[in-house]
Amino acid sequence: MKEVIHTYKLTKQYKKKTVVNELDMIVREESIYGFLGPNGAGKSTTLKILLGLVKPTSGEADILGKKLNSQNRLSILKNIGSLIESPSYYGHLTARENLQIIQTILDLPKKNIDAVLKTVRLDKQEGKKVSEYSLGMKQRLGLASALINMPKLLILDEPTNGLDPSGIQEIRELIRSLPKEYGMTVIVSSHLLSEIDQMVDDVGIIANGRMMYQGRLNKLHMLDEGKSLEEIFLDLTGKEASL
Amino acid sequence: MIKLIKCEYLKTRRRYILPVTLGITAMYLALLFYGEYSDDALRQGWWALLYQLPLLNTMFMPILCIVVASRLCGLEHKGATFKQLFTLTSKGSLFTAKLIYGLGIITVPILIQFAAIYIAGCYLGFGGVYPLNLYLIYLLSTLLTTYAIYVFQHCMSMLFKNQAVSFFVGIGGEFTGLFSMFLPQIPCLRKILIWGYYGDMQFVGNNWDRETRINDFYLMDINYAAFFIITTVAVLMYLIGKKLFTDKEV
Repeated sequence: MKEVIHTYKLTKQYKKKTVVNELDMIVREESIYGFLGPNGAGKSTTLKILLGLVKPTSGEADILGKKLNSQNRLSILKNIGSLIESPSYYGHLTARENLQIIQTILDLPKKNIDAVLKTVRLDKQEGKKVSEYSLGMKQRLGLASALINMPKLLILDEPTNGLDPSGIQEIRELIRSLPKEYGMTVIVSSHLLSEIDQMVDDVGIIANGRMMYQGRLNKLHMLDEGKSLEEIFLDLTGKEASL
Repeated sequence: MIKLIKCEYLKTRRRYILPVTLGITAMYLALLFYGEYSDDALRQGWWALLYQLPLLNTMFMPILCIVVASRLCGLEHKGATFKQLFTLTSKGSLFTAKLIYGLGIITVPILIQFAAIYIAGCYLGFGGVYPLNLYLIYLLSTLLTTYAIYVFQHCMSMLFKNQAVSFFVGIGGEFTGLFSMFLPQIPCLRKILIWGYYGDMQFVGNNWDRETRINDFYLMDINYAAFFIITTVAVLMYLIGKKLFTDKEV
């Protein structure tokens, strides 16, 4: 299957600390890739590098068949939707007004706003200011912002943060449907191992900036059939690392 | 760029930036025209205003710049929106679009002030002919100095998440600029600070006769070099600010 992302020895150092260390990441087209790692393992930094928000100290990344650099960054990003760390929003505006800003920048048709509001089930709350939203609703708005351009690649960092169990299930179903319905590839990072277990096709486990395992989720389970994903994760990342 | 400027408008809905700006302008005009005018004051009205305006501008315009820049940039920091916007457009375009929008807002009160002076002067019955050429030079000096201060505030507000930093630096600059107007014996103070340029570009002087208590206003040399310097400084601040913002990682 075609690769949507392939990184080559991607490294990021802040002063003397290496946050991402010679990371080789491969994401297959129309798959859901779970990116796992303890706090401070380098997940968010890696995702930020893929979005061109952070410059790597060394290494390269091929995204959607192009080598990412400062010249082609924006043309590549036109096909990528993202939600990094926490949702971005203007609290004094409504969800529709927030999405209108992205729609204007990307020159998208207005009907996309209605479509994504419906997809994330915010269509009945669209007149309310975002500052009055719950954390879960803000998270849904972040997802709507990421989906508004119907991207080929969706990068989601902790998308179920702050959601209640039914919200988590809903987002999981939504993410699962994206490759089939829209041909999207999804990278999703999460601390919730059980969530990843139910959602992804492939998994990458990172610890101290290094890729500890990468491949099919079912093969990971086969590494030690008697253990849960959580136990395998702790074995790979070292038990001293926190979740 | 037009799309990004339109987005700035969309972002500032319900932020009441223009009404706040107009409110500050109303206070400015009230302070400018408040008082009783003697026959002598009315006779020299046009010249008296040209003498007083730089001082009032030093007091009010930097505050206007702080408020507008802080409200325009603060909403991006507050909503953590830069990390999303940087994936949609270039950092440099975002920096420039927001600056252009802010400069547009700042221009409105300056033009209102310019028009209000003429209307109020005619209404109050200022003597002599309205010195249009001098007022146009005054308008240009006000626009250039205010734009330079705005560029500075914009850079501060874009680079620092905590808007208190840009507020206190701006207020500090304003007070130093104000202070420099009362210290003509230290002219370099006006020249080294952007807030001092309202005073540095002043071209109407005042002779006050202690015995007759009469003011006489006179035309001084117009400091055209200052126009060039403040424009250059504004452009340099823009380029440096844009570079620092573009290099910023989120």
